[in-house]
Amino acid sequence: MPQDNLTTSENDIDIGLEFEGDEDEVSTFQEEHERERHRAKISDGDRERRKRGNGRRKRASRAEEWEGESQARPERRERGRRKRTRSDQEAKGSDRDEEVQPKTKSGKSAKTRKHIKNEKTRKMEEEEGEGEERHAKRKKKHGSAKKEEREEDGGKRTAKEKAQEVKRKKHKKVVETSSEPSEEDDNDEEDNEEREVRPESLSSEELEKLKEAVDERKKLIQTLRGKPWPMKKKCVTLRESQEFVEKYEGALGKGKGRKLYAYKVMMNKKWMKFQRDFENFKTACIPWEMKIKEIESHFGSSVASYFIFLRWMYGINMILFCLTFGLVMVPEALMGRPYGTIPRKTVPRPEATSAMDFAVLWDFGGYAQYSVLFYGYYNNQRAIGWLKFRMPLSYFLVGVGTVAYSYMVVIRTMARNANESGVGDDNSFNFNWKTFTSWDYLIGNPEMADNKFASITTSFKEAILEEQESRKDDNIHLTRFLRVLANFLVLCCLAGSGYLIYFVVRRSQKFALDGLDNHTWWERNEVNMVMSLLGMFCPMLFDVISALENYHPRVALQWQLGRIFALFLGNLYTFIIALMDEINLKREEEQIIKFNITMWEASLYNGTVSVNSTAPAITIQPADVPRGPCWETMVGQEFVRLIISDTMTTYITLLIGDFLRAVLVRFLNYCWCWDLEAGFPSYSEFDVSGNVLGLIFNQGMIWMGAFYAPCLPALNVLRLHVSMYLQCWAVMCCNVPQERVFKASGSNNFYMAMLLVILFLSTLPAIYTIVTIPPSFDCGPFSGKKRMFDVIQETLESDFPAWFGKVFSYASNPGLVLPFILLMVLAIYYLQSTSKSYKEANVELKKKLQTQNEENKKKKKLAALKAQMDLEEARKASSQTAKQQKNSNASQQDQESDEEEDHSSSQRLHHGKNGRHAPPPVREQEGQLPATRAPVPRSYQHEHHGAPGYLPGFPRQSEPRMHRVPSLQRH
Amino acid sequence: MVAPAIALAFIPLLLTVLIRCRFYFVLFYRAVLVRIWKDCATGLSREERAYQYVLTHATPGDPDSILDAFDVWCSKVEFISNIGPKKGKVLDRLVMELSPLTVLELGAHCGYSTVRIARSLPLGARIYSLEMDSRNAAIAEKIIRLAGFDDDTVELIINPSDEVIPRLRSDYGLERLDFVFMDHWKKCYLPDLQMLEGSGLLGKGSVIMADNVLFPGAPKFLRHVRKSGLYEWKVHRATLEYSKGIRDGMAELVYQGTK
Repeated sequence: MPQDNLTTSENDIDIGLEFEGDEDEVSTFQEEHERERHRAKISDGDRERRKRGNGRRKRASRAEEWEGESQARPERRERGRRKRTRSDQEAKGSDRDEEVQPKTKSGKSAKTRKHIKNEKTRKMEEEEGEGEERHAKRKKKHGSAKKEEREEDGGKRTAKEKAQEVKRKKHKKVVETSSEPSEEDDNDEEDNEEREVRPESLSSEELEKLKEAVDERKKLIQTLRGKPWPMKKKCVTLRESQEFVEKYEGALGKGKGRKLYAYKVMMNKKWMKFQRDFENFKTACIPWEMKIKEIESHFGSSVASYFIFLRWMYGINMILFCLTFGLVMVPEALMGRPYGTIPRKTVPRPEATSAMDFAVLWDFGGYAQYSVLFYGYYNNQRAIGWLKFRMPLSYFLVGVGTVAYSYMVVIRTMARNANESGVGDDNSFNFNWKTFTSWDYLIGNPEMADNKFASITTSFKEAILEEQESRKDDNIHLTRFLRVLANFLVLCCLAGSGYLIYFVVRRSQKFALDGLDNHTWWERNEVNMVMSLLGMFCPMLFDVISALENYHPRVALQWQLGRIFALFLGNLYTFIIALMDEINLKREEEQIIKFNITMWEASLYNGTVSVNSTAPAITIQPADVPRGPCWETMVGQEFVRLIISDTMTTYITLLIGDFLRAVLVRFLNYCWCWDLEAGFPSYSEFDVSGNVLGLIFNQGMIWMGAFYAPCLPALNVLRLHVSMYLQCWAVMCCNVPQERVFKASGSNNFYMAMLLVILFLSTLPAIYTIVTIPPSFDCGPFSGKKRMFDVIQETLESDFPAWFGKVFSYASNPGLVLPFILLMVLAIYYLQSTSKSYKEANVELKKKLQTQNEENKKKKKLAALKAQMDLEEARKASSQTAKQQKNSNASQQDQESDEEEDHSSSQRLHHGKNGRHAPPPVREQEGQLPATRAPVPRSYQHEHHGAPGYLPGFPRQSEPRMHRVPSLQRH
Repeated sequence: MVAPAIALAFIPLLLTVLIRCRFYFVLFYRAVLVRIWKDCATGLSREERAYQYVLTHATPGDPDSILDAFDVWCSKVEFISNIGPKKGKVLDRLVMELSPLTVLELGAHCGYSTVRIARSLPLGARIYSLEMDSRNAAIAEKIIRLAGFDDDTVELIINPSDEVIPRLRSDYGLERLDFVFMDHWKKCYLPDLQMLEGSGLLGKGSVIMADNVLFPGAPKFLRHVRKSGLYEWKVHRATLEYSKGIRDGMAELVYQGTK
């Protein structure tokens, strides 16, 4: 055994070291070929010796096997005890020792890459037996040139070795200095002194080396994060490397150059710090970032995604608000005619008495109706104020601009999201994805982590079940029937709610014809109430019904979203259709009033003219002038009311459903007969899908109504602002993390797609009304025109030179527009086909990669198998020789246990190399191996068996192995 | 006056609540309404009716058939909150694994769980069963004898748990409890557990099993267990006995001793 360690210890570095590039690097710069050759010779001799041992071993194998069997039990026990009693570090250390042996053997081919220090070899020659073994270990350490390992070494020292302590101390010094450039090869004493050498006294060559070492350290610091080491080691290494760099970095360079260098370094540091501070500052500037992060840590990314969506929505609405406020409302308020000058800007006489009542204002009647908030207030004067602001044109363009901007933003975001998420979306490695990517690293709350853990395990179970179920299909008829039934029920529900809304709207029209004052508040607000209530309760019913279907949760969520979407859309469109009816009614009314007004005017003027033609024209109070019903304002009012009632219901549900429930559950729990918190009512979960849909539909209503009520974006900004704070508070204070946690990243674009659909569906009726229905004759910026978009033509004719109008008329000629559209369609088609071909190419490449991987895997497997055979032989030989030596030293028991550990460690090594495939030949050859190995993790696991919140043994089981892997690189 | 349309809008909510809580409604009906009705109709208590049924439908001396008869009665006829067959399996397995020598049962009720535990006990083991209500205890006694367990195996103590536990050592000569099963008043779980801790009857490795920690629920008990650090614990999640949709759990605590 000692010899083996001797020959293999440095190889160990080579092999273990696919990970540890830097250790290699550190040692390479001290490489010396001469010594290496010498070393190789020695190891050759070792190999020979081992071969001889091998033969002997074969002969003795029978007896040994028997021995091994008989000692297996006590060994196991002893080993278990040792593991428990030893400190963590020490255990790892010993593991490492045992693992060294098999590993190096497998890496025989790599022998030429040895990094040997001359001191070591010399010592080796001096020392023998036990000492050599220790020495080899130390050498390993030397190779890695890590200071902290020195300490471990010290800790491991036994009384036996005390005699050699002096030597080793010197040696340690060497270890330390070896990373420094000023190392001298010849003797230890010099090494000792070199530690104290001041940088000033160094020659240029040495400085070069020092610089190199410093660079090395810096590199190490940078790459440290990616190292497969235990955290403790990383911390120690980082601290030491930083100290080293700190100490020697300033010392580099000479005289003036040195100062300059130090200055540079300092400035660099300052600059880095400034950059970091600036980053922090930037994050602090993002509104609600900290709030959202906190929620994210408690509730996972899906809930956070809602808040991020809310913030994004807030930003968009802010811009819409700026547009309407800055270009429409403020100019009209400042530069337009003031209130009371013309009939459309005055409250009519019959309403004047109640125009300031709160109930009226709350319904957006009275003074609110005759203000900049609504369409009807705006005058059709072409240019207003000293700026000659083209009010009607601006109104129209802002209306179009808000919609166009929304389209642009939504589509751009969708495209960006598609780019981000388009890569990893294939189902070919389902379990792999689940294993390596399902953890949400933003979780910072233990309860949430427990939930996430549980959800991952359930998702695994489900995935396995799915795999199994995909092969067999039992009782498909029942499932199908249930699904059809569920859909039927949902359809019934949708139809019922649609009919209810239609009925209510019809009734409200009847009320409106009767005059609103004859009816109660309930009846007046019936439409909004019913819509909000249905929007609130129907999703719950859908949720209950969907339990019938037995879908996978993600599929179920999509169905649920689709149904709620259909419900909201149905409600909205029923509302719009009813509104259309109302518009038509108003327009009929308008015709009558228009006729009446001409009569009234005629009579007025006729009367005055007949009495006294010279008298000044009769001044009629604008409040007394009869006027049309102005359907645009009516539409705007309806939408504003809808938004208000929607907001109210949202907040009230929040307060009652979440807050009150939480309070009751919390405080009634002390005196209730069952556990309210864990049992039935419990705390509510945050309903991401419902909230997102609510937000989206709210936005749809804004887009629909914003043209007729410029105040809508402002209202929405207010609403979003309040709900941001309110919902943040409610989530943190009265919701519990979801039991089923799912990642949001994939569903983000789903929301966006819904938003796009809603945007389209909501602009549709708005555009329809703008294009087909003529504006009212006596209110709004477009009064007196046939169609609203005539304002553009008017502007072209009067404000632009004649040639521009001509060009425009040519450009709008169908003969030119149609080819253009055709061209656009062709371009889209072309782009789409190219993107498709790219996608195909991607798929092809992926396939190629996969096949290549498989081939590589096969090759590796073969190589590993071969290496194993070699290893097997070598192991036998080693244990043989080791046995002989130990026999001579007595203490048979220890040796046996060591050997047994060898076995297990060697097997572990196979695990590490081949991934999951434990090679069958090994199992067969080492008959006792599975038996000896099994109890170790089992006993470990048993201790933690009953840990709360975990599946029995699952997370712990992997622990020992996880410790062990890094321990390979430990020394 | 609230407009009727608004009232109609509440129908989905009503339906949702009805469907969501259907198990609770069923439970309420079976455990309360049926019980009151039968009490008035027959003049016997619920436990007596159960005993009559078991007497006529089970084989004397055969614990399994007695348990089966109980299960049938509780799921088909009326409702008694025994531990039930599903959670009973957990209990059986645990008792089999531990093979405890001294078992303390708090809350025997009709003796269902006593029989259940007693039939899986090793030879020479003894179960001390506490029941507060003397009428129930009389029935439990009959059931236990019917199942064929004598005084050596089962000792029925008719007294409230908070009086008995401090006297267990002196009156009954107990040194250590290997297994404790709690299924009495959920409010008493915590004080009784603390009393057991104080009495020194629990040794390292003693197992305490508490039923119904989630549905009627014993939140304070669970909180104590979580915080005290004396136990390794886990909750076996299951459904309430004789009902499918109500979640419930049994807590299994392993006493670790003071550290």
